[in-house]
Amino acid sequence: MPSLQINGQAHEVDAAVGRTLAETLREDLGLTGTKVACGEGHCGACTVRIDGVPMLSCITLVHTVEGREVTTIEGLRDHPLVEAFVKADALQCGFCTPGQIVSASALVEAVPEPTREEIRHAMAGNLCRCAAYPNIEEAVLAWQG
Amino acid sequence: MRALAGGTELVPLMRDHLVEAEMLVELREVVPRGIEGTRIGAGTTLAELEVDPQIPKALREACRLAASPQIRSMGTIGGNLLQATRCWYWRLKFPCWLHGGERCLAKAGAHREHAVFGNERCASAHPSDPAAALVALGARLRTSERELAVEDLYRLPTDDDRATVTLGPGELILELDVPAPEASTYLKAMDRKAFSFPLVGVAAARTGGETRIALSGVAPIPWKLDSLDEATPLPGTAFKLEIARALVDRALAEVGA
Amino acid sequence: MARLIKTEKEVEGNYSETWVVVEEDALDQWPAGPLTTVGREATRVDGAERAGGEALYTADLTFPGMLHVAVLRSPYSRARVRSLDLAPALEASGVRGVLGPGDVDALTDEPGYVGAPVAAVAADTDVQARAAVESISVEWELEEPLVDPDEAVEQKAFLREPRRYERGDLDRALSEADVVVEAEYRTQVALHNCMEPHGAVCRWVGDTLEVYISTQFIWGVRSDVAEALGLPEDRVRVVCEFMGGGFGSKNGPREHTYVAAELAKRTGRAVRCFNDRREENLDAGNRNATIQRLVAGARADGTLTALGGEFVNAVGFRGFSASTSGPMQMLYACANVRTTEYGTKLNVPPNAAFRAPGFVEGTFGLECLLDELAAKLEVDPLELRRKNHADSDLLDDRPFSSKNLLDCYRRAEPHWERRHDVRARTEGPWKRGVGLASQIWYGGGGPPSYAWVRVGSDGRVTVVTAMQDIGTGTRTAMAQIAAEELGVPLERVRVELGDSARGPYASISAGSSTTPSMGPAVRAAAADAARQIVEIAAQRYDLEQRVLSLKDGNVVSANGGSWSLEEVTGLLEDGQILGKGARGPNPTGMRVLTFGVQVAEVAVDVETGEIRVERVAAIHDVGRIINPLGARSQIEGGIIQAVGYALTEQRIDDPATGIPLTRTLDAYKVPTIADVPEIVAEFIDVPDEHLTNLGSKGLGEPPIIPTAAAIANAIRDATGADVHSLPITREEMLRALREARERSRDEVAAPTT
Repeated sequence: MPSLQINGQAHEVDAAVGRTLAETLREDLGLTGTKVACGEGHCGACTVRIDGVPMLSCITLVHTVEGREVTTIEGLRDHPLVEAFVKADALQCGFCTPGQIVSASALVEAVPEPTREEIRHAMAGNLCRCAAYPNIEEAVLAWQG
Repeated sequence: MRALAGGTELVPLMRDHLVEAEMLVELREVVPRGIEGTRIGAGTTLAELEVDPQIPKALREACRLAASPQIRSMGTIGGNLLQATRCWYWRLKFPCWLHGGERCLAKAGAHREHAVFGNERCASAHPSDPAAALVALGARLRTSERELAVEDLYRLPTDDDRATVTLGPGELILELDVPAPEASTYLKAMDRKAFSFPLVGVAAARTGGETRIALSGVAPIPWKLDSLDEATPLPGTAFKLEIARALVDRALAEVGA
Repeated sequence: MARLIKTEKEVEGNYSETWVVVEEDALDQWPAGPLTTVGREATRVDGAERAGGEALYTADLTFPGMLHVAVLRSPYSRARVRSLDLAPALEASGVRGVLGPGDVDALTDEPGYVGAPVAAVAADTDVQARAAVESISVEWELEEPLVDPDEAVEQKAFLREPRRYERGDLDRALSEADVVVEAEYRTQVALHNCMEPHGAVCRWVGDTLEVYISTQFIWGVRSDVAEALGLPEDRVRVVCEFMGGGFGSKNGPREHTYVAAELAKRTGRAVRCFNDRREENLDAGNRNATIQRLVAGARADGTLTALGGEFVNAVGFRGFSASTSGPMQMLYACANVRTTEYGTKLNVPPNAAFRAPGFVEGTFGLECLLDELAAKLEVDPLELRRKNHADSDLLDDRPFSSKNLLDCYRRAEPHWERRHDVRARTEGPWKRGVGLASQIWYGGGGPPSYAWVRVGSDGRVTVVTAMQDIGTGTRTAMAQIAAEELGVPLERVRVELGDSARGPYASISAGSSTTPSMGPAVRAAAADAARQIVEIAAQRYDLEQRVLSLKDGNVVSANGGSWSLEEVTGLLEDGQILGKGARGPNPTGMRVLTFGVQVAEVAVDVETGEIRVERVAAIHDVGRIINPLGARSQIEGGIIQAVGYALTEQRIDDPATGIPLTRTLDAYKVPTIADVPEIVAEFIDVPDEHLTNLGSKGLGEPPIIPTAAAIANAIRDATGADVHSLPITREEMLRALREARERSRDEVAAPTT
């Protein structure tokens, strides 16, 4: 019965060994902000932060996350990046957007004023089929408002 | 029983039933992690290697150009060396030669991502960027059982033994020793600008007058290059040689060979 | 006073006649240019919900006791199910229902392509459902598949009669032309790969079926499902408030809905049937491959006199034959045109509409051919387009409702002018060049579409319509239109959408038709509400209606009086103002089309074949722009998708068996943020004065159309290499470079006579 720390709160989950963090978040804890678009680590939609580092929850086994801090999009609702994304129109269908914001939040924490190069490098693992990329870049450049 | 480190390879392979495991042994507490001089714990992630200025350029670049930021943060260098091929026939469980079948389906089939060397039996390509860099750098591995040059971790599969890796059952990679060259580099050709396996990756490392070159994406194992003229391209992989020629020239120029 | 009239309606270039009820008093269009809200940048009204992960997409929905479905799909391109034993699945742990061929039409025992659904299992969990599907034993009888489109043409394996079009005398024009170019172009299979997979959740509530579905057409799903199930339409409720991308692939119910509905009926539980990513890459529709054999002839002065083409569309086992020949017929004023288009039936997964179906593929061929012609004529490519501009529609000799393509060409000039500097910036193996391409497409929309506008006693406005916003920002545009008409700030307007039980009929979100179909209906509804507010104010303040108007959240009179809107609506107490509006007819005897031109700058590493698209300038003529912010996002999104189409995306099939091999997002390569060029987007933004009370056309599709050709033309400009097939992979680029080197060697070796 692993105990998980999600967005600063403790949760006991009853999870089979092969269960992924994404499944636990979405199905057991009702935290559907984290999306599963591929389930095999190729698109970044499921990105969450584990001990602050962006990782792919769809290929993270939930049992390996015990004792580590998990941050999901639900824990970032008040982050200035959310408003920055809306202001810059950095989303279209929005399905990939939570993952984008999670990745971006780690970047701006480490590098508060990233260059375009740094943004592209840090966000290359978050696919956006609507291709809102130009505005995503603008949003991260202007995140501090 | 399977060893689990970052999980970026193992978890998808298990979900696809390409690998079956009744028990997973977590390596996080068991395998060393961290960089000390030329010694790198096998549990060190690619993201950690990417940003450490002590790491030779070839390895740093290979990590920087590999995969995606999330995967680099999850994946360990030990696990990265043991990646399976991305060959679609193998991954989709066609009864191909590497799966124990009679012939390599890629050879007569779709093989644009496949091998130009060592492809007599199997045309799959080795997808690891860091592995090529480590071969070029002349790195050595320490496992739970022995010490070996990194290129001896690999073997071309044969009719009687289709494994491409020489680790014994239960043997774990613990540590790498990566000597510092005078100059090194890694150049990568991929289909899009990021987050792609290598079509051709060229690692070059020079110490004194000797330069070693190794290629990713061109053979079932990381390929230590003797001569491009030895290549045995397939009709659909000949283009990789053209790219390799250009990148080898550039890599040699960059390391001052 | 309502009247019933017949009007022409267009979606994706398919024209139909439809009856529509119109109100007599048509609204005058607003003046051109930015207004108070319309024509100004507006952030998405649902942006924070989507960005913050609060929005519930169909893939996020759960219901108590909901079952999960896994589908058994054919692993073969053509086979017959000799025997099927579902018993192991029925007995498997957690399984509550199993369907086989014959239980629903969507399941077949004669699959004609890899991925065709054969059986389905509903279980308590996804893992159990998949395990149960694995346990089903099937005996397959393999048959020889037909996968080659040219072979299909030879065998006359068609999904419909070949489409032939002719005007003038092509053969004579070719024989008389000063210059003729001929070329074959090939385009690949491209996959939508929407981030949210295809799927639906169905549950029965009494005798009503509720369908929660990721869809582009709520009302289409409703009527299709009702018909298939033999239900009156009001017994089917379709819900889609947020959906994660469609691009044309989600225009109808698909197998997920029918399988889920049937299993929900049998089990009495809610049933969820969704594709995983592998299935998305297999049987979720695609832009089919094409082979185009084209010829063009011109006079020495650049007048196009002949255009001909044979277009082979490798449609698939089912699907539709998109109009690959459309651009050749429509874009230029060429008197002699002949096209033949084949829609081949093959044992490959069926196609589906994909952002300007047919026109993306056909514009690649046509615009590359035109540039090859320009090179042979030694005429400037932009000049060639300008010279052959069509002043009226050539298919039926109708005038265009509006066309500003010449303005697009004029505004393209400064971007085209950059080519001299761009070419000069050669660095080592990197050669640079500039190319352009022009486009034509539809986007006029049509009736029916309806909206209600509700104004409460607090003066706040709600637009109600059962439309969908597939990510294009149409929800926001509707709010802007209502805000403009009612003279209130945008923050005071809500849009309720996405539920067929709670709102009137709304058009499909495809074919660039949402804004031009829904927008006018919303405006008409808002105008109806505004009229009622004015009537109330006139009585309350004892003024004539004609001196009153709504502005800045107030009711104002011509002689200076002003009352806040809440003061007037406050008189209602529990009452409400209910306005209703409908999309009126399309202009008669006119062709409603959109136009544009793009200029691409590329750099090519001639040693490794690497291509960098460095900049794309796009000028589009799509009528009045409602939201410049959202419009620019559509341009950027379309262009970047086109860059993927041009350079990296392709479904690869095993040549012997036709089995698709690229099933994942690492094998099928869509652009990442690192692949994005600099994009400069410009709009003509002149209202189409004949089209509805808005003068707006759709712009979802135009931006994806010309980019691939512009890139190919830029590559030729940079390197002299002719690219004839997509995607322009490393191997294709190296092949073209080698061919160009050999050609110039031959030209040096053999002096021309």
